[in-house]
Amino acid sequence: MTGAGPASILIVDDERQIRRFLEISLQAQGYETLSAASGAEALTLAATRRVALVVLDLGLPDMDGQEVLRRLREWTAMPVLVLSARAHEAEKVRALDAGANDYLVKPFGVEELGARIRVLLRASASPTVPVVFDDGRLRVDLARREVHLDGATIALPRKEFEILALLVRNQGMVITQRQILVELWGAEHVEDTHYLRVAIGRLRRRLGDEASAPRWIHTEPGVGYRLISP
Amino acid sequence: MPEAPTADNRSRRAKADALLEQIEREEAGQLKVFLGAAPGVGKTFAMLSAARELMRQGIDVVVGLVETHGRAETEALLDGLELLPRRAATGDRAHDEFDIDAALARKPQLILVDELAHRNVSGSRHERRYQDIEELLGAGIDVYTTVNIQHLESLNDVVQQISGVRVRETVPDAFFDRASDVVLIDLPPRELIARLRQGKVYLPELAASALERFFTASNLTALRELAVQAVADRVDADLREYQAAQGSGPVPVRRRVVAAIDGSENSEYLVRITRRIAERRHAPWTVVYVDAGRAGNDADHRTRLDTALRLARRLGGTTETLRGVDVVDELLGYAGRNGVATIVIGRTRERPLARLFNRTLTQQLLMRGAHFELTIVATPMARARSRRALLQTPKAPLRDYGFALVVSLVALVLAHLADRVLSVSNLSQLFTVAVLVVAVRSRMSVAVFSAIVCFLGYNFFFAPPRYTLVIANGSDALTVVLFLATALICSRLATRLSLQVQMLREANAHAGILGRLGRELAAAADAGQVTAIGAKTLAQAFDAEVTVLTPGPDAGLLATAAAAPPSMTLSTTDRAAADWAMNHDQPAGRYTDTLNAATCWLLPLIDDGARLGVVAIRFEAEETVLSSQRRDLIQAITHDIAQALARTRLADALESARLQGETERLRAALLSSVSHDLRSPLAVMLGSAESLQRYGARLEETERNELLDGIVSEGQRLDRYIQNLLDMTRLGHGTLKLARDWVAVDEIVGSCVLRLRKIFPEVRVEHGAPVDELPLLYVHPALIEQALFNIMENAAKFSPPGVPVRVSAEQVGQEIRIDVIDAGPGIPAEERSRIFDMFYSVERGDRGKHGTGLGLSICQGMIGAHGGSVEALPGEGGVGTVIRITLPLSGVPMPAAATEDEV
Repeated sequence: MTGAGPASILIVDDERQIRRFLEISLQAQGYETLSAASGAEALTLAATRRVALVVLDLGLPDMDGQEVLRRLREWTAMPVLVLSARAHEAEKVRALDAGANDYLVKPFGVEELGARIRVLLRASASPTVPVVFDDGRLRVDLARREVHLDGATIALPRKEFEILALLVRNQGMVITQRQILVELWGAEHVEDTHYLRVAIGRLRRRLGDEASAPRWIHTEPGVGYRLISP
Repeated sequence: MPEAPTADNRSRRAKADALLEQIEREEAGQLKVFLGAAPGVGKTFAMLSAARELMRQGIDVVVGLVETHGRAETEALLDGLELLPRRAATGDRAHDEFDIDAALARKPQLILVDELAHRNVSGSRHERRYQDIEELLGAGIDVYTTVNIQHLESLNDVVQQISGVRVRETVPDAFFDRASDVVLIDLPPRELIARLRQGKVYLPELAASALERFFTASNLTALRELAVQAVADRVDADLREYQAAQGSGPVPVRRRVVAAIDGSENSEYLVRITRRIAERRHAPWTVVYVDAGRAGNDADHRTRLDTALRLARRLGGTTETLRGVDVVDELLGYAGRNGVATIVIGRTRERPLARLFNRTLTQQLLMRGAHFELTIVATPMARARSRRALLQTPKAPLRDYGFALVVSLVALVLAHLADRVLSVSNLSQLFTVAVLVVAVRSRMSVAVFSAIVCFLGYNFFFAPPRYTLVIANGSDALTVVLFLATALICSRLATRLSLQVQMLREANAHAGILGRLGRELAAAADAGQVTAIGAKTLAQAFDAEVTVLTPGPDAGLLATAAAAPPSMTLSTTDRAAADWAMNHDQPAGRYTDTLNAATCWLLPLIDDGARLGVVAIRFEAEETVLSSQRRDLIQAITHDIAQALARTRLADALESARLQGETERLRAALLSSVSHDLRSPLAVMLGSAESLQRYGARLEETERNELLDGIVSEGQRLDRYIQNLLDMTRLGHGTLKLARDWVAVDEIVGSCVLRLRKIFPEVRVEHGAPVDELPLLYVHPALIEQALFNIMENAAKFSPPGVPVRVSAEQVGQEIRIDVIDAGPGIPAEERSRIFDMFYSVERGDRGKHGTGLGLSICQGMIGAHGGSVEALPGEGGVGTVIRITLPLSGVPMPAAATEDEV
């Protein structure tokens, strides 16, 4: 441990060019960065340096990114942002279910990366789970189990409220279908994605939200949902 | 010093044999059979209960395959047991099969495999499930299985007599005998019928009409008795075996039971009966056929004989074919040499005359085989005949005798008329003609009868002294002899004639086979069908096993192209002979001088000097000679197969040349597309970056930003293009797997709109109002999204500025229809159907303004993979284009009730 100084963002990717441009753009945004070209190196750095967040590429030369993730999760809850290629849809879902906090598909914009990192760092910085969501129009109070839309209280069926609550607790971050299904319906319903689709559809309608122009609940195709305050 | 085997010696040997047998059985896996009298008695339930108990004791138990038929209490027992995944057969799930390879790989201590009598779907390793189980046992895995008594081969006839239902899925008794334990699952018929009424019995193998007949109290009682008897027999046998192994108890003197069959319709029945007799006495048994050379070339007879002998071997007996003139001599000789106690014969047709002279088989055996027990079985045929005989007088012979009488009378009348003209000795000629006519038309006994009548008539009316039966001179005596001689010779000739007719018929049948083969071969489209038809035809026509081998892809080594039955395998010798036959253009293997240790006869398939393959034909082992007729016919058939093969080969060559051309065309088109679609964005990116690198300092802020924007947007374009290229190779190689999931239409439209907004921020998208009331789609979300995105991107590209692209979705019947409408220049009618064609979009890639790239042709593939369709229609009022995606809805899921209850 180096003790003082701001915590760093650990960039794990075997491609030098990608590491380099990430370093440059993140440093430009004011973050300290560390780089690792292999899984082993990443694990060593994560354990010995002050690391605030890991940007992890799933394709590594020495070990599978999923394995790096698993070993990290054995001892730390530090946020992990996974990078994956487009062709491997199942990979990113697996990583999310295995404890990754968010993902980005290559190629990605620097701006988007910055936004994701900010959300993750904010969430990990505040030790308590948010219990209130309020963007001026929609207000969700988890403690009092109340939902207000444009000042008016709306009653949500239990499941729809629970989905909303789950999204609020993880606001800004992606929640996989599997996580929602297991948490709300139980592990035996993990295949019954149509429950979720129907419930989300109804929730959106009650909130006046639209899938094609989402205000709050964003669909991550093939992965899950994300609550974003506009 | 050799000593005669004493009783002591014999007993010691018997003990050793018994022990050896026990050891052999113990090394292989143990088989436990749960036997029931009828479906629904609870065999599977009992099996699962036993398995659970063993699992509790720590035995490694795996459920290979269990059919619960939806019975809840049985299903409950499966809970907690390890289930082996089934091997998905092609087609529906109902035909999923037991996965023997998975079982062998898993190698548990004990595996449960339900329904022993099951017939596997074609294409499985073994035809029958008991063969799968045999392999498992061979691998040292213990097996529990279930079977109903009616599936036992030896009881097949009895069950049919009881129930009127012929069970086709039989299990050889030899296999059943392997079981180290048989557990009888017994349920009183009344309870079973009650269960049936409650719908607790699942009856796959019986049609509904057969069901009522089958499930009567009397049937069930009889079946139950059979089942109990079978188990009792086994218990008895086990006890003896155990005692023999321990050396206690009486050493059974196992005297052989022999059945003599003649190849009549009764033969199979006789074999089954014999098996039961032998079983009850725990005696070894043999089925013997004495070939006295009388059967000739009767194909039916030969087939029946083969079937019966095969059946005997399947039932665990041995077979023997004896050759000799006198059936009785051979039979008794064999019985004497082989320690036979009992001879079983069927009650066969008996000639009255032979009975008169004690010449029937039965009588002779009774007289000469006094020291054997003789069992004469009333066979179904004989019983039916005796019943017929009681009901009605036999017609045919009587009619023949009547005919003989009439002809004789006519001769008499003619002789009377000619009496004035001809001398007495010449009159006898008339009667000769009469006898001749009768002899040719009828059998020998009738001919003799007519000879006697004619002689009596001639003697009484014409030979002097007239009107007496006195034979006055030697010439009259000669007349008698002549009449008899005529009768005998002519009837013999007539018999030969009928034999020839028989042969003609056979030739006809052969011509029929060739004709049918020719028709089927003409319809065959490829080499695979030709070989399959060839193998099937040969196998059926000659009751043989047939494999067709054709040169494989690697170095022309022979590979199996078709086999009938599919389970047929070739030994190394067979293969060597096949290679020889192929390379020397001559038959090899059995029945030839080359490599005749092979079990097959191998015929090369040659057409016009081209070596096309080899046909391997395996006849029964007993068939030591091949008649020349068969030889000729088989050669004719193989020639036909060779010709058909040559024809399909030519067609294949043409087809592959055409495909080759098409692939070339596609390759060229793709290359030109790649050069355009990949290079133009790269050119922009490289050029812009280099400009910034070299002249960055000298450029204006706005110019720098312009160049940078160019790099970003062209990079994004490249990304999309590469995604399309990847998708296309996935679609083109058939490696695409649909990962279907439930997804809402508006979510797909939504994410497309969001993606589109990033590329064309200025393009507006409008979509029809009530999209969220639509049922969910069951599709691969990413693929459908990509297809819709490509269409929307295309529409956005061609839309005039300021005019929105419209997207609407609606349900039409059992389909979802998504329309993407643009106000662009539209597509000429004659090109509309072609825009989704890969050649079209690719070939015009370099010429079009932006080029549609690969986008639209990929849509076709992706939507098509979901069973949907894409089409281009003219826009409203002739402006723009409507691209319509139609996707089938698959079974709307219940809107989860779980989402309802309020907070």
